[in-house]
Amino acid sequence: MSTLSRRAHGASRRASTDGPRAEYLAFKLAGDTYAVRIGSVAEILKPPPITDVPRAGRSIVGVVSVRGRLVTVVDLRRRFGLPESAGDARTRILLVAAGGEELVGLLVDEVLQVYRLAESEIEPATVLGGEQPAHIIGIGRPASVAASAGGRRGPETVLVLLDLRPVIEL
Amino acid sequence: MAEQGNGGRSEGPADKAREEFFSEAQELVDGLGRDLLTLDSGVKSGRVDPELINDVFRAVHTLKGLSGIFGATMMTGVSHELEDVLDELRLGRMEVSAPVLDVVFRAVELYGRLLSAERGDGPAPEAEVEALLMALGGLTGRGAGAEASPVAQYELDPGLLGVLTEYEEHRLRSSIQSGLNLFKLRVQFPLATIDTALDDLKAKARPLGEIITYLPTGGGSDADAIELEILMASREKVATVKRELESPNLHIEEVARRHVGPGPNTSAPMRPSVSPTPIPSFEAEPGTALAQLHSHTPGTSIAPPPEGAKDVSLRSVSQTVRVDIRKLDHLMNIVGELAIVRTSLGAMAERLRQRPELREVSQELHRVHRAFDRHLQQMQNGILEVRMVPLAQAFDKLARIVRQLSRELDKPVNLVITGAETELDKLLVEELSDPLMHMIRNAIDHGIETRNERAEVGKPSMGTIALNAFQKGNQVVLEVEDDGRGMAQSLLISSAIRKGILTAEEAREMSPREILSLVFRPGFTTREEVNETSGRGVGMDVVKTNIARLGGIVDLSSEEGIGTKVTITLPITLAIISVLFVEVCGRSYAMPLTSVEEAIAFDSSMVRVVDGRDVMTVRGTTLPICSLAKLFGHPPASFPSHGFVAIASVGNRRLGFVVDRLVGQQDIVIKALGRTLRNVRGFAGATELGDQRVTLVLDVSALVDEVLAAPGDSRVRAHGEGRAS
Repeated sequence: MSTLSRRAHGASRRASTDGPRAEYLAFKLAGDTYAVRIGSVAEILKPPPITDVPRAGRSIVGVVSVRGRLVTVVDLRRRFGLPESAGDARTRILLVAAGGEELVGLLVDEVLQVYRLAESEIEPATVLGGEQPAHIIGIGRPASVAASAGGRRGPETVLVLLDLRPVIEL
Repeated sequence: MAEQGNGGRSEGPADKAREEFFSEAQELVDGLGRDLLTLDSGVKSGRVDPELINDVFRAVHTLKGLSGIFGATMMTGVSHELEDVLDELRLGRMEVSAPVLDVVFRAVELYGRLLSAERGDGPAPEAEVEALLMALGGLTGRGAGAEASPVAQYELDPGLLGVLTEYEEHRLRSSIQSGLNLFKLRVQFPLATIDTALDDLKAKARPLGEIITYLPTGGGSDADAIELEILMASREKVATVKRELESPNLHIEEVARRHVGPGPNTSAPMRPSVSPTPIPSFEAEPGTALAQLHSHTPGTSIAPPPEGAKDVSLRSVSQTVRVDIRKLDHLMNIVGELAIVRTSLGAMAERLRQRPELREVSQELHRVHRAFDRHLQQMQNGILEVRMVPLAQAFDKLARIVRQLSRELDKPVNLVITGAETELDKLLVEELSDPLMHMIRNAIDHGIETRNERAEVGKPSMGTIALNAFQKGNQVVLEVEDDGRGMAQSLLISSAIRKGILTAEEAREMSPREILSLVFRPGFTTREEVNETSGRGVGMDVVKTNIARLGGIVDLSSEEGIGTKVTITLPITLAIISVLFVEVCGRSYAMPLTSVEEAIAFDSSMVRVVDGRDVMTVRGTTLPICSLAKLFGHPPASFPSHGFVAIASVGNRRLGFVVDRLVGQQDIVIKALGRTLRNVRGFAGATELGDQRVTLVLDVSALVDEVLAAPGDSRVRAHGEGRAS
């Protein structure tokens, strides 16, 4: 482990002990609201022209170039087996680190906002009962709008919290 | 997201220093390996260069220091023990022999893994370190009993012998053992010019023999002069030495042999305490030698302080700079961006030319554009040149593996290397190491027969593996050839059937060439048992995939009883390749020109079907063809009525790819597709053109293999549509 990443590791551990709240970025996918740890998202992009890759897996839309780097774009709808959509002006790509130097882009319907969730606002995935897929790590229920920055959703908001690692393991 | 590219990544000073440590240590370890190989061949031919042992000793000493600073304790431990062994070798207290070198080779091998472990790339090889330390300790234990000194046969002043360093004593002993004559020289030098005068004398003495030591006598008639006693070994007779070294204040006499056996005083040769730093040879650093001279004779404070010695130790002799390859990649990316700027500049100048009133501006812009173009080209070539390293970097490691394996398997092998100086992109050389290692292992384990088998068929007991590299146009060809048993077609087929790779019916229809290519199938092995060397079934298919990823081609030829040859053809550099852009169903693809022979017009009426395969006739020969659209599952899956055929040639196989349109030819910067796409066959990478659009670069070799391997037409279609849509 390099000194740098060790330091980063230490910093994140400190942050979680200082304040119990963690930040999640929420986005929409086929009508549902999902959220991922904000730290896992490197950048949000408007989709550039995507070059399709023949013979690639079904959930891979293609490749794009982000400032000279090749990025594989995964359609999260297809990945989760949701009905497909052509996309519109609100469609975005979340750039996430996929191990090593590689970045993977995740195609989502719309990026919503950042939620700061306390541990009490997160239910474990087991409340859904039965066997849940590995990428669902819990359910977020933000208690109040005030807790989030400029939120426009009521307290009834339900966030499906995702772990991106199994999602981008293709 | 961080700034683009890796060149702009910020690193803490600690990380940077650590990186430096890794690259310096790696260089030392590589150098060690090279020196050991030379030493090994020296041992075999009976001539061991003492300076080489010194080099090895120094490298290990430096590694010890480095690893100590960076807290790599296991490396420090290994270095410490290894240093002890090398010291024994250096001082001639232990003989340089194959078993000793085996242990030293093991240590160098282990250094590589220890470095990886330090980087976090692998587990620390604790058990191996433990075993090695035992082995090293065993060596030094054995070496402790030194033989009786032959020095005693000579009438040498015990006072002189008493101040010899261990190294000097060793040189003296080995000179005597080689039957050289010993001479004692007494010379007086003026204090002011002692440095130059001593150098002059050494220069004159060098053709005659070796100066073993020189010491001030403390005598001398003049207060401004110093008298030295010099011990020299030479093949020449005393008269010759006297004649050659003739000088006013010089007195020469031959050291006489005693006519008695070794006396009791010789069994314990005097050894001054071993200095922690390696003792420099006198030839190399006269300043240091003088400093030593002082330490021997603390009473005689003469000669100016040896300032030179201090400078030498601080100043680096090297004119080179180590650069992270990623920084060069970053620069190459910038060159790529500039090429795009250049294109728009050219287009702009062209537009201006249409306007008569802007003629002057247009002309000036054209000049600027040309200059820009020229300099950009120079810059591109410059960066590519920096990336080039000789293949020797990869070959040296292979030579170590050959040595180790041939001893382990008891198959004597002579590795013949040609073209190690051939230069290739650094990244390619790195990526080649593993595939080449697989191939060499296969050659020794499967190819070369046992001693008995070789004797039975009348082959020399020593097997030969030839590792050849040469440049051919803008490609580099690598060959690994062995004179072993070759591949038996029947054995290949039965193994493939047993592994379920092939059915008996399929086997009956295969051509000899197709049978040979079975070794490239995943999971193929002829071995029933897995051993340490090979036979784990991750062999040639991995080699082939890795080489294809580098834009290269693997070819195999083998003759039963005579040997096997694997040929790899690679582009010289990964960074920039020339491609032909083709268009099919509105999508653009790039085909590397290295594998495209020519492109000709196509008409669907040219297509014939022979044995379920589409072919056409080109200048009297039959060319199998396939529709790129069909291969990639782009609708419609039929041939276009008019279009073009890009004729690919890979090894001696040819295939025409039918496309709709040829777009043009261009030099591009190729980039690897991410790991997420690693299972997608048929693409070597992608490139970005000016408009931010990404274009895929075809892995022509893989596609040709795929199409030609499929029996008839049906499988191609199934393959193409199976994963697409």
